[in-house]
Amino acid sequence: MIENLLLGLSAFGDPMVWISLVFGALAGYLIGAIPGLGPSLGVALLIPFTYGLDPVVSIVGLVALYAAAEYGGAITAILINSPGTSAAVATAWDGYPLTQQGRAGEALMVSIVASGIGIFVSALFLLFTAVPLSELALSFGPGEYFALAVVGLSLVVGLAEGLVVKGAVAMGIGLALATVGLDTQTGVPRFAVSTELFEGLPLVPVLLGLYALSEVLFMVEEGAAAKVKSPPVGGFMSWNWKGFWPLNGVIMRSSVLGYVIGIIPGAGASIASFIAYATAKRTSKAPELFGKGSVEGVAASEAANNAAVSGAMAPLLALGIPGSPTTAVMIGALMIQGIQPGPLLFSRNPEIPYTIFASLWIGVPIMVFIGLAGARGWAQVANIPRPAIAAIVSAICLVGAYSSEGTMFPVFVMTAFGILGYLLRKVQIPLAPVILALVLGEVMETNFRRALITSQGSLDIFYTSPVTVVLSLMAILAFVLPAIGFVRRRRRPGPAAGEVASR
Amino acid sequence: MSLNLLKTIRANSAAVCMTITAALVAAPAAAETAWKPSGPVNVLMHTKPGGTADIFIRTLAQSLEPLIGQTIVVVNAPGAGGATQMARVAHAKPDGLTLGINTMSHFTSMLTNLKGTFSVDDFSWVASTQEDPIIFFARADSDIKTIGDLVAKAKANSGKINIGGFGPVGSMQHLGTSMLEKAAGIKLNWVGFDSTPDIMTALLGGHVDIGVSNLGPTAPFFESKRIIGLGVLGETRLEGLPDLPTFREQGFEVDTSWVQVRGLFGPKDMPLELQQQIADAFHEAMKAKSYQDYARNTGVVDSWMGPKEYDAFVRKVSGTAVKQLQAAGLLQ
Repeated sequence: MIENLLLGLSAFGDPMVWISLVFGALAGYLIGAIPGLGPSLGVALLIPFTYGLDPVVSIVGLVALYAAAEYGGAITAILINSPGTSAAVATAWDGYPLTQQGRAGEALMVSIVASGIGIFVSALFLLFTAVPLSELALSFGPGEYFALAVVGLSLVVGLAEGLVVKGAVAMGIGLALATVGLDTQTGVPRFAVSTELFEGLPLVPVLLGLYALSEVLFMVEEGAAAKVKSPPVGGFMSWNWKGFWPLNGVIMRSSVLGYVIGIIPGAGASIASFIAYATAKRTSKAPELFGKGSVEGVAASEAANNAAVSGAMAPLLALGIPGSPTTAVMIGALMIQGIQPGPLLFSRNPEIPYTIFASLWIGVPIMVFIGLAGARGWAQVANIPRPAIAAIVSAICLVGAYSSEGTMFPVFVMTAFGILGYLLRKVQIPLAPVILALVLGEVMETNFRRALITSQGSLDIFYTSPVTVVLSLMAILAFVLPAIGFVRRRRRPGPAAGEVASR
Repeated sequence: MSLNLLKTIRANSAAVCMTITAALVAAPAAAETAWKPSGPVNVLMHTKPGGTADIFIRTLAQSLEPLIGQTIVVVNAPGAGGATQMARVAHAKPDGLTLGINTMSHFTSMLTNLKGTFSVDDFSWVASTQEDPIIFFARADSDIKTIGDLVAKAKANSGKINIGGFGPVGSMQHLGTSMLEKAAGIKLNWVGFDSTPDIMTALLGGHVDIGVSNLGPTAPFFESKRIIGLGVLGETRLEGLPDLPTFREQGFEVDTSWVQVRGLFGPKDMPLELQQQIADAFHEAMKAKSYQDYARNTGVVDSWMGPKEYDAFVRKVSGTAVKQLQAAGLLQ
């Protein structure tokens, strides 16, 4: 292993590898920051440039781009409440409130450092556990996927901010929206009034509409008066590095969680960040800050969604099964180079997996440097006058929605969901459960039905596997415990929960 | 060039004169074709970047661009079960600058979900480029080793053998499975997945008993001996898996034209001569080493049908699909 690791590191003797790494990181950082583009599209766009290159050089660039793009989504999530991917949604839950409190610079720095640590730690795990954990991940069948999705959905309780009925309504809306599209088992269109809806509601325009455009509508309503001044972000030296110390635990836990969930093929970065966020909230000393501007929340989400990058690499390298849409694109890139990912990769082309490990580590400081350098500039976005930022965010929504498919349909979807988001917030229905249920609903339903098909209709499949049982118990506890607390609080009158659903 | 000419003559006598003339004019520069598009060529994909068909066109573009002296712009227009892409192709000018890549699912969806939206007659079917027969396989430690084993087991446990494949009921792979069911008089339990990696995960994890897929994504698992092949639904054995017998060799007669196809199509009313030139250019580009290396690595079979043959093929296969969908009760 040491020998192979040195082989991987030795690739960095070639200046081309460094150029590829830096270029990949820069490109990923920018692509991730543009809503509508994302890691999988970024990798696909880079592939044509890798044809003529050495396989090692090209894979380093692609991995750097993947990792940096997974981070880039945090920037717009924090600054303008526009998560470009579902993996950055949880980042927006706390990142944007921090921006509103004038702490955009801090949120950006926490996000980039947490991302960096997430990748670094998970890459270490990847080196030692890629093969055994990937084998273990195979035991995840439809029943287990369903249970995992329910665990993710139980996060709704925390996101409902004490508004139990409204939280349930929000979850119901999300689950209902998730049923739109062609039925995955029978191919029958459901609520698909036009052919554009056959593949379900497109997620990026829905995210942009619900979060960003609805925010614009609120800005318009509140007028130009309200304004937050973000203090300027100083250089690396001036920053309070000790402030990270309390975040150590949450970043470590989230990195491990993100890595493990990332390994399970198909679970991916969004479920990883949701579950890490929920765990962080439960273990936090200040859970009440979550959703209202908790740096812990930002750190948990970002550490997890970046750790999921290494996680997704594990089944790709060990089994040849891509763990995420982006790694599916990377398989294509490797195959064009004549390299077959899979169990024989480690013996036949050891330079590829070990260069990936090395590039994840070496890429971290470069990515963090780019991120921190960029944070100074990005933080200024928070100081742009209200009318201008409203116009800029609207433009980003329109362009982001359009570029996600290259047609007008997602633009209409985005606009419709912007209005829906505005109305829901007006009646204090929180948006976070809507989006959570929309993202997880499809996973839940597809796997529930698939599980019943494989079990010939028997419900045994949901309680005969230990993994399913453990996950289901976790989900039930997460739903039931707060409900008991809610009923108790109801008995003795307390301060009315009249908070504004700010998300 | 001469090979190309021969193919042209065989394929299309009507366009022969024109093509020969054009080819002779172009003859001094060996690596050129008669097709001279006036601008960048947009090739629309019905998938997101990174799928098998997407990688195919991106790889082919490398050798095609120098041949035609124009850029190939791969445009991903996913969504709507292919309708997004098909609408953009259908509404384009028939000048050869807008083309699309099609697979078998284009034909089945025009019979089901997109019935009334698009039909075979709305497009020009320009050329076939790849054939990719589907194979059935099981885990290496499975007691099912051949199609015969599968049939015997399925007869004893009717409807209880889980088969994982791509797409819902009515998809290309499901219809291929139902062909086998009909030929052998058995009933399998279809479990639809959204991607081939998901099928492999479920098969290796023991959540389904057998799987169906094209060879490409399964190749590493054959190589590492984690799965064994049961049979090929095709006319002949696969170059990549010479030991795996076809269904027919194992005594099960199915329609062997039911193979996954990747082809090229365009808006209707494209002049036949232009279609032939485009087909020739694509086929010429497929002979390049970079493309051949990729094709052999991914286990696909080259396919060389020109516009006339491909159009006839599309109509024949649509007819087969109608019969299969009716047999599966998905079409009246």
